[in-house]
Amino acid sequence: MAILYKKFSENLKLFWEFRELLKNLVKREIAQRYKQSILGYAWIILNPLFQLVVMSFVFGVILKVSSLNVPFIIFLSVALLPWNFFATSLSTSSGVLVNSSSLITKIYFPREILVYANMFAKLIDFALSLLILIVFFLIFKIPFTIYFFWFIPILIVQIIFTTGLSLITSAFNLFYRDIQYLLNLILILWMYLTPVMYPVELIPNKYRFIFKFNPMAVIVNAYRQILLGKSEPNLGSLSIALFISIFIFIFGFFIFKKLEGKFADYV
Amino acid sequence: MSNDFIIKAENLHKLYSLNKQRTFKEFLPALFSGAETKYSFHALNGINFEIKKGESLAILGRNGSGKSTLLKIIAGVTKPSDGKITVNGKVFPLIELGAGFHPELTGKENVYLNGSILGIKEKEMDKLYNQIVSFAELEQFMHEPVKHYSSGMYMRLAFAVAVAKIPNILLVDEILAVGDLRFQKKCLSRIKEFQNQGTTLIIVSHSRKTIEDYCQKGLLINNGNQLYFGEVKKALEKYAQI
Repeated sequence: MAILYKKFSENLKLFWEFRELLKNLVKREIAQRYKQSILGYAWIILNPLFQLVVMSFVFGVILKVSSLNVPFIIFLSVALLPWNFFATSLSTSSGVLVNSSSLITKIYFPREILVYANMFAKLIDFALSLLILIVFFLIFKIPFTIYFFWFIPILIVQIIFTTGLSLITSAFNLFYRDIQYLLNLILILWMYLTPVMYPVELIPNKYRFIFKFNPMAVIVNAYRQILLGKSEPNLGSLSIALFISIFIFIFGFFIFKKLEGKFADYV
Repeated sequence: MSNDFIIKAENLHKLYSLNKQRTFKEFLPALFSGAETKYSFHALNGINFEIKKGESLAILGRNGSGKSTLLKIIAGVTKPSDGKITVNGKVFPLIELGAGFHPELTGKENVYLNGSILGIKEKEMDKLYNQIVSFAELEQFMHEPVKHYSSGMYMRLAFAVAVAKIPNILLVDEILAVGDLRFQKKCLSRIKEFQNQGTTLIIVSHSRKTIEDYCQKGLLINNGNQLYFGEVKKALEKYAQI
Protein backbone atom coordinates (compact mmCIF):
# COMPACT_ATOMS: atom_id res chain seq x y z
CA MET A 1 0.00 0.00 0.00
CA ALA A 2 2.85 2.34 0.88
CA ILE A 3 4.50 1.60 -2.45
CA LEU A 4 1.27 2.33 -4.27
CA TYR A 5 0.98 5.62 -2.47
CA LYS A 6 4.56 6.57 -3.23
CA LYS A 7 4.17 5.73 -6.91
CA PHE A 8 0.96 7.68 -7.03
CA SER A 9 2.43 10.82 -5.45
CA GLU A 10 5.51 10.64 -7.68
CA ASN A 11 3.29 10.56 -10.71
CA LEU A 12 1.18 13.37 -9.39
CA LYS A 13 4.29 15.53 -9.09
CA LEU A 14 5.38 14.69 -12.61
CA PHE A 15 1.90 15.46 -13.85
CA TRP A 16 1.95 18.83 -12.11
CA GLU A 17 5.22 19.63 -13.81
CA PHE A 18 3.57 19.07 -17.17
CA ARG A 19 0.30 20.86 -16.43
CA GLU A 20 0.97 23.45 -19.12
CA LEU A 21 1.27 20.69 -21.66
CA LEU A 22 -2.20 19.56 -20.66
CA LYS A 23 -3.50 23.07 -21.16
CA ASN A 24 -1.87 23.39 -24.57
CA LEU A 25 -3.09 20.00 -25.71
CA VAL A 26 -6.67 20.90 -24.76
CA LYS A 27 -6.26 24.16 -26.63
CA ARG A 28 -4.95 22.28 -29.63
CA GLU A 29 -7.87 19.88 -29.53
CA ILE A 30 -10.35 22.75 -29.45
CA ALA A 31 -8.64 25.04 -31.95
CA GLN A 32 -8.34 22.18 -34.38
CA ARG A 33 -12.05 21.49 -34.51
CA TYR A 34 -12.91 25.14 -34.64
CA LYS A 35 -10.57 25.71 -37.55
CA GLN A 36 -11.47 22.70 -39.61
CA SER A 37 -15.19 23.13 -40.18
CA ILE A 38 -17.22 26.20 -41.05
CA LEU A 39 -19.85 25.50 -38.44
CA GLY A 40 -17.17 24.55 -35.91
CA TYR A 41 -18.75 24.78 -32.55
CA ALA A 42 -22.32 24.75 -33.85
CA TRP A 43 -21.94 20.99 -34.26
CA ILE A 44 -21.65 20.60 -30.51
CA ILE A 45 -25.22 21.88 -30.27
CA LEU A 46 -26.68 20.67 -33.56
CA ASN A 47 -25.54 17.10 -33.25
CA PRO A 48 -27.32 16.27 -29.98
CA LEU A 49 -30.26 18.44 -30.95
CA PHE A 50 -31.05 16.33 -34.02
CA GLN A 51 -30.45 13.22 -31.99
CA LEU A 52 -32.90 14.42 -29.33
CA VAL A 53 -35.62 15.33 -31.80
CA VAL A 54 -35.52 12.03 -33.65
CA MET A 55 -35.21 9.88 -30.55
CA SER A 56 -38.04 11.75 -28.82
CA PHE A 57 -40.22 11.10 -31.82
CA VAL A 58 -39.42 7.39 -31.83
CA PHE A 59 -39.56 6.71 -28.09
CA GLY A 60 -41.97 9.41 -26.92
CA VAL A 61 -44.47 9.58 -29.75
CA ILE A 62 -44.36 6.17 -31.44
CA LEU A 63 -43.45 3.88 -28.56
CA LYS A 64 -44.99 6.13 -25.88
CA VAL A 65 -42.43 5.43 -23.18
CA SER A 66 -43.51 7.04 -19.90
CA SER A 67 -41.46 10.05 -18.85
CA LEU A 68 -42.04 11.23 -15.24
CA ASN A 69 -44.75 13.72 -16.24
CA VAL A 70 -42.44 15.97 -18.23
CA PRO A 71 -42.19 16.26 -22.03
CA PHE A 72 -40.20 13.29 -23.33
CA ILE A 73 -37.56 15.45 -24.95
CA ILE A 74 -36.64 16.93 -21.55
CA PHE A 75 -36.74 13.54 -19.94
CA LEU A 76 -34.38 12.27 -22.64
CA SER A 77 -31.99 15.21 -22.76
CA VAL A 78 -31.06 15.18 -19.04
CA ALA A 79 -29.77 11.65 -19.61
CA LEU A 80 -28.63 11.66 -23.22
CA LEU A 81 -26.29 14.67 -22.95
CA PRO A 82 -24.28 13.16 -20.06
CA TRP A 83 -24.34 9.81 -21.83
CA ASN A 84 -22.94 11.42 -24.98
CA PHE A 85 -20.17 12.95 -22.88
CA PHE A 86 -19.33 9.50 -21.56
CA ALA A 87 -19.54 7.73 -24.92
CA THR A 88 -17.59 10.27 -26.99
CA SER A 89 -14.80 10.65 -24.45
CA LEU A 90 -14.39 6.90 -24.18
CA SER A 91 -14.52 6.20 -27.91
CA THR A 92 -12.14 9.03 -28.84
CA SER A 93 -9.74 8.27 -26.01
CA SER A 94 -9.04 4.85 -27.49
CA GLY A 95 -7.30 6.60 -30.38
CA VAL A 96 -5.33 9.32 -28.61
CA LEU A 97 -2.13 7.36 -28.12
CA VAL A 98 -2.11 6.00 -31.66
CA ASN A 99 -2.75 9.47 -33.08
CA SER A 100 0.20 10.90 -31.15
CA SER A 101 2.56 8.13 -32.18
CA SER A 102 5.08 10.57 -33.65
CA LEU A 103 5.42 12.21 -30.23
CA ILE A 104 5.42 9.02 -28.23
CA THR A 105 8.36 7.57 -30.10
CA LYS A 106 10.46 10.70 -29.68
CA ILE A 107 9.98 12.56 -26.47
CA TYR A 108 9.21 11.53 -22.95
CA PHE A 109 6.33 13.14 -21.12
CA PRO A 110 3.73 11.50 -18.92
CA ARG A 111 1.57 9.80 -21.52
CA GLU A 112 -1.61 9.93 -19.46
CA ILE A 113 -1.68 13.65 -20.20
CA LEU A 114 -2.89 12.80 -23.70
CA VAL A 115 -5.84 10.94 -22.20
CA TYR A 116 -6.60 13.74 -19.74
CA ALA A 117 -6.44 16.37 -22.50
CA ASN A 118 -8.99 14.43 -24.48
CA MET A 119 -11.24 14.22 -21.41
CA PHE A 120 -10.98 17.96 -20.82
CA ALA A 121 -11.83 18.81 -24.41
CA LYS A 122 -14.89 16.57 -24.24
CA LEU A 123 -15.85 18.12 -20.93
CA ILE A 124 -15.86 21.53 -22.58
CA ASP A 125 -18.06 20.15 -25.37
CA PHE A 126 -20.39 18.76 -22.74
CA ALA A 127 -20.60 22.09 -20.95
CA LEU A 128 -21.54 23.77 -24.22
CA SER A 129 -24.14 21.16 -25.05
CA LEU A 130 -25.79 21.93 -21.72
CA LEU A 131 -27.04 25.11 -23.39
CA ILE A 132 -29.69 22.92 -25.00
CA LEU A 133 -30.79 21.80 -21.56
CA ILE A 134 -30.96 25.35 -20.26
CA VAL A 135 -33.10 26.43 -23.19
CA PHE A 136 -35.44 23.44 -22.75
CA PHE A 137 -35.77 24.17 -19.04
CA LEU A 138 -36.78 27.73 -19.83
CA ILE A 139 -39.21 26.76 -22.60
CA PHE A 140 -40.92 24.05 -20.56
CA LYS A 141 -40.71 26.07 -17.33
CA ILE A 142 -38.97 23.43 -15.23
CA PRO A 143 -38.61 24.98 -11.77
CA PHE A 144 -35.13 25.45 -10.34
CA THR A 145 -34.60 23.53 -7.10
CA ILE A 146 -31.83 23.32 -4.56
CA TYR A 147 -31.19 19.73 -5.72
CA PHE A 148 -29.65 21.07 -8.93
CA PHE A 149 -26.41 21.56 -6.99
CA TRP A 150 -26.00 17.79 -6.86
CA PHE A 151 -25.07 18.07 -10.53
CA ILE A 152 -21.43 18.81 -9.67
CA PRO A 153 -20.71 15.80 -7.43
CA ILE A 154 -22.49 13.48 -9.85
CA LEU A 155 -20.44 14.91 -12.71
CA ILE A 156 -17.25 14.31 -10.72
CA VAL A 157 -18.16 10.65 -10.24
CA GLN A 158 -18.79 10.40 -13.97
CA ILE A 159 -15.44 12.00 -14.81
CA ILE A 160 -13.52 9.65 -12.50
CA PHE A 161 -15.27 6.65 -13.99
CA THR A 162 -14.76 7.76 -17.60
CA THR A 163 -11.11 8.70 -17.12
CA GLY A 164 -10.35 5.35 -15.51
CA LEU A 165 -11.92 3.44 -18.39
CA SER A 166 -10.24 5.72 -20.95
CA LEU A 167 -6.81 4.97 -19.49
CA ILE A 168 -7.45 1.25 -19.92
CA THR A 169 -8.90 1.41 -23.43
CA SER A 170 -6.29 3.83 -24.76
CA ALA A 171 -3.45 1.62 -23.57
CA PHE A 172 -4.96 -1.59 -24.90
CA ASN A 173 -5.87 -0.05 -28.22
CA LEU A 174 -2.19 0.55 -28.79
CA PHE A 175 -1.51 -3.17 -28.65
CA TYR A 176 -4.58 -4.30 -30.55
CA ARG A 177 -5.91 -1.64 -32.87
CA ASP A 178 -9.36 -3.11 -33.29
CA ILE A 179 -10.23 -2.63 -29.63
CA GLN A 180 -11.81 0.64 -30.71
CA TYR A 181 -14.30 -1.11 -32.99
CA LEU A 182 -15.17 -3.53 -30.25
CA LEU A 183 -15.55 -0.56 -27.95
CA ASN A 184 -18.02 1.16 -30.27
CA LEU A 185 -20.17 -1.95 -30.29
CA ILE A 186 -19.99 -2.20 -26.51
CA LEU A 187 -20.99 1.44 -26.17
CA ILE A 188 -24.15 0.96 -28.24
CA LEU A 189 -25.20 -2.10 -26.23
CA TRP A 190 -24.27 -0.34 -23.01
CA MET A 191 -26.55 2.56 -23.88
CA TYR A 192 -29.51 0.20 -24.23
CA LEU A 193 -28.71 -1.29 -20.84
CA THR A 194 -28.59 2.16 -19.26
CA PRO A 195 -31.86 3.95 -18.55
CA VAL A 196 -31.22 6.75 -21.03
CA MET A 197 -34.25 6.32 -23.26
CA TYR A 198 -36.58 4.85 -20.65
CA PRO A 199 -37.17 5.42 -16.92
CA VAL A 200 -35.46 3.06 -14.53
CA GLU A 201 -38.90 2.34 -13.04
CA LEU A 202 -39.83 0.31 -16.12
CA ILE A 203 -37.20 -2.30 -15.32
CA PRO A 204 -38.71 -5.39 -13.62
CA ASN A 205 -37.64 -5.67 -9.99
CA LYS A 206 -35.76 -8.90 -10.37
CA TYR A 207 -33.36 -7.28 -12.88
CA ARG A 208 -32.83 -4.03 -11.01
CA PHE A 209 -29.69 -5.32 -9.28
CA ILE A 210 -27.82 -5.26 -12.61
CA PHE A 211 -28.21 -1.51 -12.72
CA LYS A 212 -26.75 -1.03 -9.28
CA PHE A 213 -23.43 -2.26 -10.63
CA ASN A 214 -23.56 -0.20 -13.80
CA PRO A 215 -22.16 3.15 -12.69
CA MET A 216 -23.52 4.83 -15.81
CA ALA A 217 -27.05 3.71 -14.95
CA VAL A 218 -26.68 5.12 -11.47
CA ILE A 219 -25.19 8.36 -12.78
CA VAL A 220 -27.80 8.89 -15.49
CA ASN A 221 -30.60 8.12 -13.09
CA ALA A 222 -29.13 10.49 -10.52
CA TYR A 223 -29.07 13.37 -13.01
CA ARG A 224 -32.70 12.69 -13.78
CA GLN A 225 -33.68 12.57 -10.13
CA ILE A 226 -32.05 15.84 -9.18
CA LEU A 227 -33.08 17.77 -12.29
CA LEU A 228 -36.60 16.46 -12.83
CA GLY A 229 -37.54 14.35 -9.80
CA LYS A 230 -37.05 17.19 -7.32
CA SER A 231 -35.22 14.99 -4.86
CA GLU A 232 -31.78 13.94 -3.75
CA PRO A 233 -30.10 11.18 -5.72
CA ASN A 234 -30.13 7.68 -4.27
CA LEU A 235 -27.10 8.08 -2.04
CA GLY A 236 -26.60 4.35 -1.53
CA SER A 237 -26.31 3.67 -5.27
CA LEU A 238 -24.26 6.77 -5.86
CA SER A 239 -21.70 5.74 -3.23
CA ILE A 240 -21.39 2.32 -4.85
CA ALA A 241 -20.87 4.08 -8.19
CA LEU A 242 -18.24 6.35 -6.64
CA PHE A 243 -16.50 3.37 -5.10
CA ILE A 244 -16.47 1.46 -8.40
CA SER A 245 -15.28 4.57 -10.26
CA ILE A 246 -12.35 5.17 -7.91
CA PHE A 247 -11.41 1.52 -8.10
CA ILE A 248 -11.52 1.61 -11.93
CA PHE A 249 -9.48 4.79 -12.01
CA ILE A 250 -6.72 3.43 -9.75
CA PHE A 251 -6.72 0.13 -11.60
CA GLY A 252 -6.64 1.92 -14.98
CA PHE A 253 -3.90 4.28 -13.85
CA PHE A 254 -1.57 1.50 -12.76
CA ILE A 255 -2.23 -0.61 -15.84
CA PHE A 256 -1.50 2.44 -17.96
CA LYS A 257 1.71 3.21 -16.08
CA LYS A 258 2.81 -0.40 -16.24
CA LEU A 259 2.39 -0.50 -20.00
CA GLU A 260 3.73 3.03 -20.58
CA GLY A 261 7.34 1.93 -20.96
CA LYS A 262 6.31 -0.30 -23.88
CA PHE A 263 4.18 2.25 -25.75
CA ALA A 264 7.04 3.47 -27.91
CA ASP A 265 7.90 -0.10 -28.94
CA TYR A 266 4.41 -0.94 -30.10
CA VAL A 267 2.99 2.23 -31.56
CA MET B 1 28.12 14.07 -3.65
CA SER B 2 29.03 15.34 -7.08
CA ASN B 3 28.35 12.95 -9.90
CA ASP B 4 31.06 13.49 -12.44
CA PHE B 5 29.30 11.48 -15.11
CA ILE B 6 26.29 12.75 -17.00
CA ILE B 7 25.23 9.54 -18.67
CA LYS B 8 26.14 6.06 -17.60
CA ALA B 9 24.97 2.91 -19.33
CA GLU B 10 25.52 -0.41 -17.62
CA ASN B 11 25.04 -3.57 -19.61
CA LEU B 12 22.06 -2.30 -21.62
CA HIS B 13 19.92 -4.83 -23.39
CA LYS B 14 16.89 -4.18 -25.48
CA LEU B 15 14.76 -7.06 -26.54
CA TYR B 16 11.79 -6.20 -28.68
CA SER B 17 9.14 -8.76 -28.13
CA LEU B 18 6.47 -7.77 -30.55
CA ASN B 19 3.08 -9.24 -31.16
CA LYS B 20 2.80 -10.94 -34.50
CA GLN B 21 -0.86 -10.04 -34.61
CA ARG B 22 -1.68 -6.38 -34.75
CA THR B 23 -5.37 -6.78 -34.10
CA PHE B 24 -7.45 -8.55 -31.55
CA LYS B 25 -9.27 -10.32 -34.35
CA GLU B 26 -6.01 -11.93 -35.46
CA PHE B 27 -4.83 -12.53 -31.94
CA LEU B 28 -7.78 -14.59 -30.71
CA PRO B 29 -7.64 -17.37 -33.33
CA ALA B 30 -3.87 -17.48 -32.97
CA LEU B 31 -4.25 -17.98 -29.24
CA PHE B 32 -6.57 -20.95 -29.67
CA SER B 33 -4.75 -22.58 -32.55
CA GLY B 34 -1.51 -22.39 -30.60
CA ALA B 35 0.27 -20.33 -33.24
CA GLU B 36 3.12 -18.14 -32.12
CA THR B 37 1.83 -14.83 -30.84
CA LYS B 38 5.15 -13.12 -30.36
CA TYR B 39 8.51 -12.78 -31.95
CA SER B 40 11.53 -11.24 -30.41
CA PHE B 41 14.41 -9.23 -31.70
CA HIS B 42 17.59 -8.34 -29.87
CA ALA B 43 18.21 -4.70 -30.74
CA LEU B 44 20.89 -4.02 -28.13
CA ASN B 45 23.13 -6.57 -26.55
CA GLY B 46 25.19 -5.39 -23.59
CA ILE B 47 26.08 -1.73 -24.09
CA ASN B 48 28.40 -0.05 -21.56
CA PHE B 49 29.64 3.50 -21.57
CA GLU B 50 30.09 6.52 -19.38
CA ILE B 51 30.06 10.15 -20.48
CA LYS B 52 31.53 12.81 -18.23
CA LYS B 53 30.31 16.36 -18.01
CA GLY B 54 31.30 18.43 -21.03
CA GLU B 55 32.12 15.41 -23.15
CA SER B 56 30.22 14.57 -26.28
CA LEU B 57 29.51 11.19 -27.77
CA ALA B 58 29.18 9.97 -31.34
CA ILE B 59 27.24 6.77 -31.86
CA LEU B 60 28.55 4.93 -34.88
CA GLY B 61 27.21 1.96 -36.72
CA ARG B 62 25.51 0.86 -39.88
CA ASN B 63 21.83 1.20 -40.50
CA GLY B 64 19.85 -1.11 -38.26
CA SER B 65 22.67 -1.57 -35.78
CA GLY B 66 20.62 -0.24 -32.85
CA LYS B 67 21.66 3.43 -32.79
CA SER B 68 18.15 4.80 -32.75
CA THR B 69 17.09 2.35 -30.08
CA LEU B 70 19.95 3.56 -27.93
CA LEU B 71 18.90 7.18 -28.47
CA LYS B 72 15.36 6.29 -27.48
CA ILE B 73 16.59 4.71 -24.28
CA ILE B 74 18.64 7.78 -23.45
CA ALA B 75 15.64 10.01 -24.19
CA GLY B 76 13.56 7.92 -21.79
CA VAL B 77 11.05 7.05 -24.46
CA THR B 78 11.55 3.35 -24.07
CA LYS B 79 12.94 1.27 -21.24
CA PRO B 80 15.85 -1.14 -21.53
CA SER B 81 14.88 -4.79 -21.11
CA ASP B 82 17.90 -5.33 -18.94
CA GLY B 83 20.72 -3.24 -17.51
CA LYS B 84 20.63 0.25 -16.21
CA ILE B 85 20.85 3.75 -17.63
CA THR B 86 21.50 6.78 -15.46
CA VAL B 87 20.99 10.21 -16.96
CA ASN B 88 21.87 13.28 -14.90
CA GLY B 89 20.12 16.16 -16.53
CA LYS B 90 17.38 17.05 -18.90
CA VAL B 91 17.45 15.50 -22.35
CA PHE B 92 16.38 17.50 -25.36
CA PRO B 93 15.84 15.38 -28.42
CA LEU B 94 16.48 16.86 -31.83
CA ILE B 95 15.21 13.69 -33.41
CA GLU B 96 12.97 14.19 -36.42
CA LEU B 97 12.02 17.76 -36.00
CA GLY B 98 8.51 18.96 -35.78
CA ALA B 99 7.05 15.78 -34.33
CA GLY B 100 4.89 17.84 -32.02
CA PHE B 101 3.66 20.30 -34.60
CA HIS B 102 0.04 20.38 -35.55
CA PRO B 103 -0.71 21.54 -39.11
CA GLU B 104 -3.91 23.41 -38.24
CA LEU B 105 -2.30 25.55 -35.56
CA THR B 106 -0.38 28.75 -36.27
CA GLY B 107 3.37 29.00 -35.97
CA LYS B 108 3.06 30.80 -32.67
CA GLU B 109 0.65 28.26 -31.18
CA ASN B 110 2.91 25.46 -32.28
CA VAL B 111 5.93 27.09 -30.66
CA TYR B 112 4.13 27.17 -27.31
CA LEU B 113 2.77 23.66 -27.73
CA ASN B 114 6.12 22.24 -28.71
CA GLY B 115 7.77 24.13 -25.87
CA SER B 116 5.45 22.59 -23.33
CA ILE B 117 6.17 19.15 -24.74
CA LEU B 118 9.85 19.85 -24.12
CA GLY B 119 8.98 21.02 -20.62
CA ILE B 120 9.56 24.74 -21.16
CA LYS B 121 7.26 26.77 -18.95
CA GLU B 122 5.02 29.35 -20.56
CA LYS B 123 6.58 32.28 -18.73
CA GLU B 124 9.99 31.18 -19.89
CA MET B 125 8.65 30.76 -23.40
CA ASP B 126 7.38 34.36 -23.40
CA LYS B 127 10.98 35.43 -22.97
CA LEU B 128 12.37 32.98 -25.52
CA TYR B 129 9.71 33.58 -28.14
CA ASN B 130 11.24 36.54 -30.00
CA GLN B 131 14.59 34.87 -30.13
CA ILE B 132 13.01 31.71 -31.58
CA VAL B 133 11.19 33.65 -34.28
CA SER B 134 14.25 35.57 -35.33
CA PHE B 135 16.41 32.46 -35.32
CA ALA B 136 13.91 30.74 -37.61
CA GLU B 137 13.64 33.93 -39.71
CA LEU B 138 9.88 33.58 -39.87
CA GLU B 139 8.74 36.93 -38.47
CA GLN B 140 5.96 37.45 -41.03
CA PHE B 141 4.59 33.94 -40.85
CA MET B 142 4.01 33.30 -37.17
CA HIS B 143 0.25 33.79 -37.38
CA GLU B 144 -0.16 31.46 -40.33
CA PRO B 145 -1.14 27.82 -39.81
CA VAL B 146 1.97 25.72 -40.28
CA LYS B 147 0.26 23.62 -42.95
CA HIS B 148 0.95 26.54 -45.27
CA TYR B 149 4.67 26.46 -44.47
CA SER B 150 7.19 25.03 -46.88
CA SER B 151 9.08 22.05 -45.53
CA GLY B 152 12.15 24.22 -45.04
CA MET B 153 10.23 26.76 -42.97
CA TYR B 154 8.72 23.95 -40.94
CA MET B 155 12.11 22.49 -40.12
CA ARG B 156 13.59 25.86 -39.30
CA LEU B 157 10.86 26.64 -36.80
CA ALA B 158 11.10 23.21 -35.22
CA PHE B 159 14.85 23.52 -34.92
CA ALA B 160 14.58 26.99 -33.44
CA VAL B 161 12.25 25.74 -30.70
CA ALA B 162 14.45 22.77 -29.94
CA VAL B 163 17.53 24.94 -29.49
CA ALA B 164 15.82 27.83 -27.72
CA LYS B 165 17.13 26.84 -24.35
CA ILE B 166 20.53 25.52 -23.36
CA PRO B 167 19.93 21.83 -22.70
CA ASN B 168 21.99 19.56 -20.45
CA ILE B 169 21.97 16.86 -23.06
CA LEU B 170 21.13 17.29 -26.72
CA LEU B 171 20.35 14.28 -28.87
CA VAL B 172 21.09 14.86 -32.54
CA ASP B 173 19.97 12.24 -35.01
CA GLU B 174 21.32 13.07 -38.44
CA ILE B 175 19.21 16.17 -38.81
CA LEU B 176 21.78 18.75 -39.57
CA ALA B 177 20.41 18.98 -43.08
CA VAL B 178 17.97 21.68 -42.07
CA GLY B 179 17.16 24.38 -44.59
CA ASP B 180 19.74 25.89 -46.89
CA LEU B 181 23.49 25.93 -46.39
CA ARG B 182 23.46 29.24 -44.56
CA PHE B 183 20.87 28.01 -42.10
CA GLN B 184 22.79 24.78 -41.59
CA LYS B 185 25.84 26.79 -40.63
CA LYS B 186 23.76 28.76 -38.19
CA CYS B 187 22.51 25.56 -36.60
CA LEU B 188 25.96 24.12 -36.32
CA SER B 189 27.35 27.23 -34.70
CA ARG B 190 24.43 27.22 -32.29
CA ILE B 191 25.23 23.67 -31.33
CA LYS B 192 28.89 24.56 -30.90
CA GLU B 193 27.85 27.43 -28.65
CA PHE B 194 25.86 25.03 -26.47
CA GLN B 195 28.81 22.74 -26.28
CA ASN B 196 31.04 25.55 -25.10
CA GLN B 197 28.55 26.24 -22.36
CA GLY B 198 28.72 22.66 -21.15
CA THR B 199 26.01 20.84 -23.09
CA THR B 200 26.65 17.18 -23.76
CA LEU B 201 25.94 16.22 -27.33
CA ILE B 202 24.97 12.76 -28.41
CA ILE B 203 25.27 12.56 -32.15
CA VAL B 204 24.24 9.93 -34.61
CA SER B 205 25.76 10.85 -37.92
CA HIS B 206 27.51 9.36 -40.89
CA SER B 207 29.50 12.49 -41.52
CA ARG B 208 33.07 11.99 -40.38
CA LYS B 209 33.70 15.69 -40.26
CA THR B 210 30.74 16.48 -37.98
CA ILE B 211 31.79 13.73 -35.63
CA GLU B 212 35.41 14.82 -35.45
CA ASP B 213 34.40 18.43 -34.93
CA TYR B 214 32.05 17.80 -32.06
CA CYS B 215 32.81 14.57 -30.26
CA GLN B 216 35.55 13.31 -27.99
CA LYS B 217 34.09 9.88 -27.43
CA GLY B 218 32.84 7.33 -29.89
CA LEU B 219 30.67 4.27 -29.41
CA LEU B 220 30.66 1.72 -32.19
CA ILE B 221 27.84 -0.78 -32.36
CA ASN B 222 27.11 -3.48 -34.88
CA ASN B 223 23.97 -5.62 -34.83
CA GLY B 224 23.33 -4.51 -31.29
CA ASN B 225 26.76 -5.56 -30.04
CA GLN B 226 29.23 -3.05 -28.69
CA LEU B 227 32.46 -3.23 -30.67
CA TYR B 228 34.28 -0.29 -29.18
CA PHE B 229 33.91 2.58 -26.77
CA GLY B 230 36.59 5.19 -26.30
CA GLU B 231 38.46 7.88 -28.20
CA VAL B 232 36.50 9.09 -31.20
CA LYS B 233 39.47 8.76 -33.59
CA LYS B 234 39.90 5.11 -32.75
CA ALA B 235 36.16 4.51 -33.04
CA LEU B 236 36.12 6.05 -36.49
CA GLU B 237 39.06 3.89 -37.57
CA LYS B 238 37.33 0.75 -36.40
CA TYR B 239 34.13 1.85 -38.05
CA ALA B 240 35.93 2.16 -41.37
CA GLN B 241 37.10 -1.47 -41.02
CA ILE B 242 33.66 -3.06 -40.77
